[in-house]
Amino acid sequence: MSYHYNEAFENPDYHNSETLESGRRKASQMNSMFRQNPYDSSPYDSYTDHDGREQRQSYSVDIPMATMQPGLEVSQSAKRWGTPNANPYGNTHINHSFEYEPEFTYTPPSTLSTVDGPFARRSSDASEEEKIIRNLASMTTRERIKAIQKMPKTMKEKREIRNKVLMEKTRKSVSYSTEIHCCTQCMYKIALSYRRFRNGLSELFQSLQLWQKTLKIIGGKFGTSVLSYFVFLTWLLTFNIFSFLVNFSFVTIPQFIAAGSNNLSFTGLELLTGAGYFQQTVLYYGFYTNSTITKIENSTSYDMQLAYIFTIGIYFVICFFSLVYSMAKSFRNNFVNPQTYSGNAGKLLCIWDFNITNEKAVRLKQKNLSTQIKEALSEGKSEDLNLSLKQRMVHIAIHLAAWIFSLGTTAVCCTCVYYLSINNLKLFMKGDGTELENQAATLVLPIVVSLLNLLTPFVFSLLELLEKFQYPRNQIYVTITRNVILKMSIIGILCYYWLNIVATSATECWETLVGQDIYRLVVVDFLFCLLGSFFGEFIRRIIGTKCLKNLGVPEFDIARNVLGLIYVQTLTWIGIFFSPLLPAIQIIFFFIIFYVKKVSLMMNCQPPRKVWRASQMTTLFIFLLFFPSFTGVLSVVAITIWRLNPSEKCGPFRGLSSIFDAVSRWIDVLTNYPRSAWVVWIYHNLIESVHFFFILTVIIIIITYLYWQIIEGRKIMVRLLHEQIINEGKDKMFLLEKLRALQASTRDTPARKGASQQFSTTSSLYQPPGQLDQQRHLSMPNYLERPLEKNKSSFSAKPPYTADFPETSGFLPGDPQRQQPSTKPGVSEALALAMRARQQAEREMEDEDEEDFRS
Amino acid sequence: MGGSASSVPPDLLGEYQELTFLTKQEILIAHKRFSELVPKEERDQILSARVPKDKVVTLPELRANPFQHRICRVFSTAEDGDDSLSFEDFLDMLSVFSDAATSEIKSHYAFRIFDFDDDGTLDRKDLENLVNCLTGDADGTRLSTSEMDQLIQNILEESDIDKDGTINLSEFQHVISRSPDFASSFKIVL
Repeated sequence: MSYHYNEAFENPDYHNSETLESGRRKASQMNSMFRQNPYDSSPYDSYTDHDGREQRQSYSVDIPMATMQPGLEVSQSAKRWGTPNANPYGNTHINHSFEYEPEFTYTPPSTLSTVDGPFARRSSDASEEEKIIRNLASMTTRERIKAIQKMPKTMKEKREIRNKVLMEKTRKSVSYSTEIHCCTQCMYKIALSYRRFRNGLSELFQSLQLWQKTLKIIGGKFGTSVLSYFVFLTWLLTFNIFSFLVNFSFVTIPQFIAAGSNNLSFTGLELLTGAGYFQQTVLYYGFYTNSTITKIENSTSYDMQLAYIFTIGIYFVICFFSLVYSMAKSFRNNFVNPQTYSGNAGKLLCIWDFNITNEKAVRLKQKNLSTQIKEALSEGKSEDLNLSLKQRMVHIAIHLAAWIFSLGTTAVCCTCVYYLSINNLKLFMKGDGTELENQAATLVLPIVVSLLNLLTPFVFSLLELLEKFQYPRNQIYVTITRNVILKMSIIGILCYYWLNIVATSATECWETLVGQDIYRLVVVDFLFCLLGSFFGEFIRRIIGTKCLKNLGVPEFDIARNVLGLIYVQTLTWIGIFFSPLLPAIQIIFFFIIFYVKKVSLMMNCQPPRKVWRASQMTTLFIFLLFFPSFTGVLSVVAITIWRLNPSEKCGPFRGLSSIFDAVSRWIDVLTNYPRSAWVVWIYHNLIESVHFFFILTVIIIIITYLYWQIIEGRKIMVRLLHEQIINEGKDKMFLLEKLRALQASTRDTPARKGASQQFSTTSSLYQPPGQLDQQRHLSMPNYLERPLEKNKSSFSAKPPYTADFPETSGFLPGDPQRQQPSTKPGVSEALALAMRARQQAEREMEDEDEEDFRS
Repeated sequence: MGGSASSVPPDLLGEYQELTFLTKQEILIAHKRFSELVPKEERDQILSARVPKDKVVTLPELRANPFQHRICRVFSTAEDGDDSLSFEDFLDMLSVFSDAATSEIKSHYAFRIFDFDDDGTLDRKDLENLVNCLTGDADGTRLSTSEMDQLIQNILEESDIDKDGTINLSEFQHVISRSPDFASSFKIVL
């Protein structure tokens, strides 16, 4: 860290170096850009240089001169120790971290220094610093805090900057003080207390966040990928908690007040079937009253119909926006620029999962990474094999067959479910047999559905063995697509059955019937989920560890589990209308699933071997939750509300021709009240109006098209910039080649070194800025033997610099400015001028590129 | 643990909140965990105490991390270069590894952590060290020299945009920007 520990300035040689002095003058113009420490990013990072090394070498350049006045120099440096204002950040003089300390290293008021050197330097630095501070001071408090937080500096430096900014601010405010009203002060206070309040609130939420510790343990052992399943689970849980709270407080509590007595008996089987006793509870639609609820005479009444429809409507609207928001957010984060996606090797740079803290897990992860790297490398070699036409045809045929098979299976499943459900309804209508038999019969449908849901994915995973995908990623996507098609078609068939057959059948209360069906599906699916983790993971582990050793410990199948969650959530959303308290049951189930899965995971599973691109997958899952799932639910609920006849004798909407009639009637009533005319206006002109929606659609399409075009333009821009960067690289390589050629020629004549130094100091006027460093590199070898007293910590192992510069560190990477062609006495002045012009251009380009990069 | 007696003074707490990405809760937890590392006699002036590296790496969050030494090195402000951490260094570290930290600052520090020789660029040597940390030192998992060369070649081909043979900070950040998992995996929570 602190390897340049101000040797430079303790060491007298440094100040005597004439070369340095001249270089300093040159460098002062570009210092702010290029003399920065490698890690001082603000405001220009990257294209870093080798300051640490440079300085160490640089002071050793002119030892003979140094010996002339050591005493003097030491005293001067001592004096400088005592002048803190020389340091831009005002912190201690030892540069602990890797920091930019230009004053120390570059402005010794040396006796030999020329007049302008140090002063020019200081002023440019100070202005740099001031500029940052001024910038910060002009920001709002919030922005400033953000900006300071984002600085990659140590706490101490951040504090210094903050204090300076605050000082700057107070200084300004003193000069304005006469203009400050008590009003602004008041505003400031309000803002401050608001900020405090918000901080407190966010802290409260954080402490409320469920299972923080458990999630950490899971992440520590299994990494981010498995963690994403649990995060998804908790996310769905919050959805359900919210929906439960809304439904409970606006629909159920009023109903409790008006509730009649329940005279059905409770046997216990109802927990499974949801029928019987539960029919007469707030669990189902049929129990809710259609009257207005008035507890106290002459006070405002509570209209159950409107409450029901608005609560559920508003819940869906909120769900819609929060889903769209999370989807858009994760799309933005995860598909930044997919077209530039290439290869995986670069990914290694950021593949390590710092969440993993378990030692065993770390070793396993390392092993997996090692195998993956090796596999990838061997694949890379054999990738050139080109498949023949026949082989390709065979591949396509296999894929086609697999698709036909999977779609066929799905169709068979759907038919099966359809006939079974019709049969189920008949059984219910006939009602022969005992009560118990009837109840048991109702369980057949959900059990078959859950079995199909559980077993068909296994058949699909067998197909994976037949199809050999080139990339495992494609395989995951194909499997997910097939499973989604299966699950969604089963739900689709069920919805068709509910909306077209049950709703038109002659049952007493079809909504309750549908609610019961969904209840049973959810409960049975939950039981199968438990069984699934028992058989799929526990028994599988026993088999894998005891019987068939080569099977090994199972992996946690993230995709299958997440799809299961999406399926259940879809059912719950459909069920909300028919059974408003279904989210409560779902909350309990999710809680249990969380713990069961956690225990099963900890006991039975091993971390996934393959790299699972968690963010992309999470994006996909949120998208799936939105697209077939949530939109499907919306259409089902919309059909129920607008198209279907509610039951005659039960539920809040009895006696209406459609559920939406409740709203139209309310509007009719409202027209009599002039005060609520705006509601009527909105209803007629916006909600009922076709024109409004037509215009809205057209506007949205136009905006989408515009954005599309903007994206196209950006893509072209990105491509051009990319080409430009590559060209810059080529330019640099060209210059480096030239440089190396020159060095080779100068090395042939080492005797001229001293002369060349002399030359460079005197002729500094026309030298390009980086020339000096070059000089130092060249003269380095002579002094390399000099022991380095300080900083053994970081550089004791290897010599900081090897003598043969051109061979080993041939070019100093990432540092174009240092590799300037030197204007040795052998090179024509014209060439030097050309090079200088080119550098200038290059530097500007690079700055631009960097900005683009970061933005 | 000295209990509430050794907690962070409120004004300092506010300052820490302002200067880092941490919340009050996280700072208090960090304080608790840090004070457990400090020997008993020094607990009174915990804010000025430094914890040596050997102690820091015993934290369960760092114990198994292959980059533990680099993390200590990067975040230490020790004057004598012994990689010890003060409480503020510790907070700096947690801030960078926290959830709230931006991807930009995370990638900046990731770069420093991976820059084993602290020279400001990732050269072949650094990449080799990095890959060794990723695959572990055991014989079975270590890559052979030819594999290593091939791998580093691949990495440089993909990431070294200006083709100077090393990866600099902006190139590194470019790579990171293409892998959205980074922000969630570059995380250490106490």
